[in-house]
Amino acid sequence: MEIRPSNFDVGLLLAARAAKVDNVVLEAAEALLFPTQDSRRGLALAAVGGYGRRQLFPYSDVDLLLLCATEREVAERKAPVAEFLRRLWDCGLRVSQSVRTLAECLEVHDQNIELNISLLDLRSMAGDRALYGGLEEKMPRFLQANRDALVRNLSRLTHERHARFADTLYHLEPAIKEAPGGLRDYQLLCWLEQLRGTRAAAPPELQRAFEHLARIRWRLHEMGGRDQNILTFDAQDVLAEEWGQDDAALWMREYFRHSRTVYRAASRELESLEGQTSGLLAQFRDWRSRLGNADIGVRRERAFLREPHMLESDPELALRLFEFAARHGIRPSLEATRRIEAQSERLRAWFSVPRPIWPSLNRIFTLPHAPLALRAMHEAGALGAVFPELDATECLVIRDFYHRYTVDEHTMVAMEKLWRPGAPFADLLSEMTEPGALVLAALFHDAGKGSPGGHVDGSLRLAEAAMDRVAPPPRERDTVLFLIRNHLELSAAMQSRDLFDPRTIREAAGRVETVERLKALTLLTYADISAVNPSAMTPWRAAQLWQLYMAVYNELTRALQSDRIGGVPAGGAERAEFLEGFPTRYLRTHSETEIDEHMALEARSRRRGVAVDVRRLDAAWRMTLAATDRPGLFAAAAGTLSGFGLNILRAEAFGNRRGVVLDTFTFADPMRSLELNPSEVDRLRATAERVIAGRTDVGELLRNRPSPGPPSRKARIPAKIHFDSEAGGAATLIEIVAQDRPGLLYDLASAISSNGGNIEVVLIDTEAHKAIDVFYVTEEGGKLTPEKRAAMAEALQRAAD
Amino acid sequence: MKKIEAIIQPFKLDEVKEALKSIGIDGMTITDVRGHGRQKGHREIYRGQEYNVDLLPKVKLELVAQDARCEDVVKALAAAARTGKIGDGKIFVYDVAEAIRIRNDDRGDSAL
Repeated sequence: MEIRPSNFDVGLLLAARAAKVDNVVLEAAEALLFPTQDSRRGLALAAVGGYGRRQLFPYSDVDLLLLCATEREVAERKAPVAEFLRRLWDCGLRVSQSVRTLAECLEVHDQNIELNISLLDLRSMAGDRALYGGLEEKMPRFLQANRDALVRNLSRLTHERHARFADTLYHLEPAIKEAPGGLRDYQLLCWLEQLRGTRAAAPPELQRAFEHLARIRWRLHEMGGRDQNILTFDAQDVLAEEWGQDDAALWMREYFRHSRTVYRAASRELESLEGQTSGLLAQFRDWRSRLGNADIGVRRERAFLREPHMLESDPELALRLFEFAARHGIRPSLEATRRIEAQSERLRAWFSVPRPIWPSLNRIFTLPHAPLALRAMHEAGALGAVFPELDATECLVIRDFYHRYTVDEHTMVAMEKLWRPGAPFADLLSEMTEPGALVLAALFHDAGKGSPGGHVDGSLRLAEAAMDRVAPPPRERDTVLFLIRNHLELSAAMQSRDLFDPRTIREAAGRVETVERLKALTLLTYADISAVNPSAMTPWRAAQLWQLYMAVYNELTRALQSDRIGGVPAGGAERAEFLEGFPTRYLRTHSETEIDEHMALEARSRRRGVAVDVRRLDAAWRMTLAATDRPGLFAAAAGTLSGFGLNILRAEAFGNRRGVVLDTFTFADPMRSLELNPSEVDRLRATAERVIAGRTDVGELLRNRPSPGPPSRKARIPAKIHFDSEAGGAATLIEIVAQDRPGLLYDLASAISSNGGNIEVVLIDTEAHKAIDVFYVTEEGGKLTPEKRAAMAEALQRAAD
Repeated sequence: MKKIEAIIQPFKLDEVKEALKSIGIDGMTITDVRGHGRQKGHREIYRGQEYNVDLLPKVKLELVAQDARCEDVVKALAAAARTGKIGDGKIFVYDVAEAIRIRNDDRGDSAL
């Protein structure tokens, strides 16, 4: 039967095919199984599965149950049953038979749950009517008594099946029967309905979705001449044309919409059934329900809007819901999602004008469950409302041999990979200073795939338009654009450049410019490759990327000393004089405004030899000092902060050609002493100036500080000290990784200074309890001698332990 | 027929594929592999910790060619994969007893 029009009545065709097969099966059964009246006793033939419910696709299995009264009957009927099955195969039918006794049909088969499930679609065909009648009569009671076990098994099978497809329906070439949102999920809904003891008709939207998928399956089987359920690119082209759609990608969007309807309904049913759980879990859920706030409540592990009608007057309530999800890992309830979907137009209108919502978005992007929240935003249409620039990539199929998912799903998977990268990339995200910019870049890195022209340029245009509205700070904005522009660079280098060639590394370092950007670009590359398909990030490729990262990181760190600002940068003689001799990193990591402020600070320092500025940042404080260099200056400044009980998070120390040093310390104020006592800020500034000028002994400040207790042995990070005399310039590089503690930086810097080392350049970072310190040290203008290195190593080891 | 197996630098793969294509060779099998010969390993220190890359990333390329074409293929492959440095890789040539195209059961040279 050749069917062409796209809106054929598939239900009718399925039933007609089942009826046609019925004739063949019954004829064979009468001839071979039941040739006499006597032979009917003790054996009944029934249709089960898809055939049982009269939904038989061309070339699909014909599922039959041969029901025997006893085991003896099974043995005695072996020969005629074999003859009967052979006849059906000879007629061209693919038979899938099961020979069972009545007792076997009324047992729960944990290891063969498919048998139990197939009996939900039981239909009598021929043979012993009384025997079949017995099964039919007992079946409802059996189902009722074993409902929980059957649902549990059905749920397990469904989760296993979904996991085989990476739990997503957005595959470029989807398996329309087994994948999430496929026909099997629709059938799951029907089975659950039966197990519940009801037979309510499917909602119209779901019925339409089933018919759409069933039509496609019918045509796939017809075209392939076999039980072929993969909607391949070739099949998409043929079917899109048959459906009257020129663009197969657009036709696929319709498929994904229907599939999503099925998937959502199936997920909702499973969640609701799995909700009936043990007391312990219920207690945990009860505790989680206390996480709610004035806007959002928690019920049965789902976040709901307390006053959903408020969305109309306060569209940003939707963002607060997703922030809640990102903070606690609790997904929005179906009802909340529906409410947001219903307000889609209003939300779009609200977010279409420039609004300063970056702080709100940044929180969603950087909280621990950001990928979950972003996926929920995407599913509710809120992501598209905030960023309509992403609309063109929704359910978009871009044909590529390696890619498995639609563009939007690729982005969502990339987000998950970004958040949970495998070793050794796992620490990089926690070290990021601007993780929000990285997430925004990841959201937009492929946004241009939905528009004509090169996708990187398109993504940049769309990201700029989005950022014009949501207004991230300039530094974040630059980072986002940098990451999008270069998101293919590391992959390209891995593929086409010799990673062990210093030129490759120098070029990559020149492109990324700073360690912070390198980390972000490495993570984005990792996530982008990993989200191509589940096996794209092979250990081989991960090792390549890590090799490239390490080499470029080391190049950037080495370049601190050797790569200095020379010549006369633009901006006048005074500016040139100030900048000359600083590492080039200085220009990359400071804005024009900051450079102006530093110049003003340096001008102030000329009168008294030192000037200090202390100011509050978003979540930390910063002390910047300009001073004429002298031995032990960096240690003195670090010691001052420790003396005030402040915890140094990051630090930089650079010197210019005129012998002026510019040191920047970013620190935390764990006791909130600066915040609660504004006069303390002035006292800190004045004390720092006195200490740096040598008028106050930093040792005095530190003497009265309580020393912290040692960390637990388990959590302790063993100190590692590495000297590198081959690094660029005239200095020796000392890299120290150690357990962080208050005063550590002062102790390390003192150990260097007291051994005659002059600290030329410093870059300090901390991640959780780990301090990562890089010092460039000279001794009388040159590299450290082996003897001096040995003495300094011993002193540093003592200080770090 | 000869089977030609080459272990080359990963970044040379595109060049090698182009060179083979230019002499009419389209079919090949590519595998990401790791190993070392005289090039030995590589040591990188990252934040004070040593990372020893004992087995370096390489690409293995396998193809089967008619006897008469084998030398051309080897020459093109070697020229494209060469940088002149240690680590460029190796080419191995083996005799092949038979080739069968699974789709239509073609045999010998016509299966290539």
